[in-house]
Amino acid sequence: MCSLSLQGEINKCLSAAYKNWIISKRNVFTVFELVFWPLISLLSIGLMTRFLGVEGDTVAFLLVGAIGLTILQICQIDVAYVLLFDMWSKSIKNTFVSPVRGYHLVLGALLFGMVRGTFAFTILVVISRILFGFDFLAGGIHTVLIFLAGVFAVSAIIGMIVCISILLFGQKADVAAWSLSGVIMLISGIYYPVSVLPEPLQFMAHAVPLTYFLEYYRSAYGFGDHSIVTGAVMVAGYMIAGLIALEMTIERARNTGILLRLSE
Amino acid sequence: MNDAVRASGICKSFNTLFRSKKEVLRDINLLIDGEEIFGILGPNGSGKTTLLSIFSTLIYPDRGELTILGIDARRKTHEVRKLINISTGKPNFPWSLTVRENLRHSGMLYGLHGRELERAVDWSMESFDLYQYQDTRFENLSTGVKQRLSLAKAMLNGPKLLFLDEPTTGLDPQMAQRTRALVRRIHRDMGVSVVMTTHYMPEAEELCGMIAFLKEGRIVAQDTPARLKRSLKIGERLTIRYRGDVDANALRSIPGLISADLSTGRADLVIDKNEATFSRVMRTFQSAEILELELEEPDLEDVFIELAG
Repeated sequence: MCSLSLQGEINKCLSAAYKNWIISKRNVFTVFELVFWPLISLLSIGLMTRFLGVEGDTVAFLLVGAIGLTILQICQIDVAYVLLFDMWSKSIKNTFVSPVRGYHLVLGALLFGMVRGTFAFTILVVISRILFGFDFLAGGIHTVLIFLAGVFAVSAIIGMIVCISILLFGQKADVAAWSLSGVIMLISGIYYPVSVLPEPLQFMAHAVPLTYFLEYYRSAYGFGDHSIVTGAVMVAGYMIAGLIALEMTIERARNTGILLRLSE
Repeated sequence: MNDAVRASGICKSFNTLFRSKKEVLRDINLLIDGEEIFGILGPNGSGKTTLLSIFSTLIYPDRGELTILGIDARRKTHEVRKLINISTGKPNFPWSLTVRENLRHSGMLYGLHGRELERAVDWSMESFDLYQYQDTRFENLSTGVKQRLSLAKAMLNGPKLLFLDEPTTGLDPQMAQRTRALVRRIHRDMGVSVVMTTHYMPEAEELCGMIAFLKEGRIVAQDTPARLKRSLKIGERLTIRYRGDVDANALRSIPGLISADLSTGRADLVIDKNEATFSRVMRTFQSAEILELELEEPDLEDVFIELAG
């Protein structure tokens, strides 16, 4: 009985992954999301390093940023899609009359986002190895796995913020799905160390776990010696807070009736 | 056996622009035993969809007590959601998913998995005649098939109570009739309690054993269709074409005659439905020659107009 219930819980999570997978595989835009734009981004940064005569580890510093940004955007949009697809097709009612909770939706969508993110990551590290000599395994496989785990967790947090915004403000909030990750990347030091940021932004950067995961991965290329503990604790705390906030926002949406408006 | 729905003092307001409140439901008290299909009728904007959304726990009331299938629906919402489902008249699903994929996804939302999930999907497609469309995307389905998909989805979790929000809206008469037959089957053969909203009176008359009328967020009447017609004294319309004289005063003094409109050779009467009244009316026409007599029973349309007017 217990295992059946566990299987049921797993399937509630997988419902989100299943829906995102079917919609993605039929959407021509997926090719752009997974291959075209990531390659454009990588090649632009890589070629710029050639033009500026940047050498060795600094190239790695910049490429880590380009790759990190790409997988963050892919994975966070997948988490946001879990509500965006329902909102666009006006079928959000079907989801919320069923006995699912916010964490089912987020975890399922995150799982699919991780698959897509890993796919894009693989393409990018292979291309960057061939074209720019970037050795993504310089810090060992555990460094890569920790970095990816951190980026995926931050993606889930951003995706949850988008979902919360939709449930608070309705359809107009979908702009957050595309803009929030850009802001996060800006303050977490995508192509530069956070020390170059103005002081208030540096303060904000240290409240963003992605900063610590970027620094951790870059430390493998000789950019300081950074511990991941602060980032890991922060990301765990934000994840829990995000899931609780999402659950509370869903309950609020049931009280305000916005779920009904999003279905009409 | 628990009542399907027990609602008392349900109120709901929505915020409008500039933070003012619009009261949509006011002090709704309903007891639905689930033995018969229960209809919630009312004009557009009367609060039918909001009420059904509250019953299905999609949204919450501001005040009041609500028990669904004996479970406190304000506190144990998840328990309620496992036992109910809802189908709407304007069904929407993710566009690019096929019929089978949409049903599979909906089943997964209820925690169905493996063979149990596939069995439920197959059963739903067979029951609602959807096999031939199983690989057709939702965006390419006709309105009638979308409606059947919505009903099939609503039966996936084997609900004990089904809410139908205007299930035949936008369907052609043939498809509407087919949908009504499906609703009857769900209730009678599958043993599911059904609560439905409609503003199509013949549909309510055909399907519902009990009816509640909503007007401006309040229930203004609740009874069986027959008793509603009687209690509102809408009466039967009796049209008599005759030749000769009729004593108008005697006619108008008959107890049970609700209204009388007499013109030369024609009497348009509304009478209470009982034999004594009918006999007395006919006696006043004894001295005249009756050319044509037409008796028309009132329908729920009349009740609706009376209540909504």
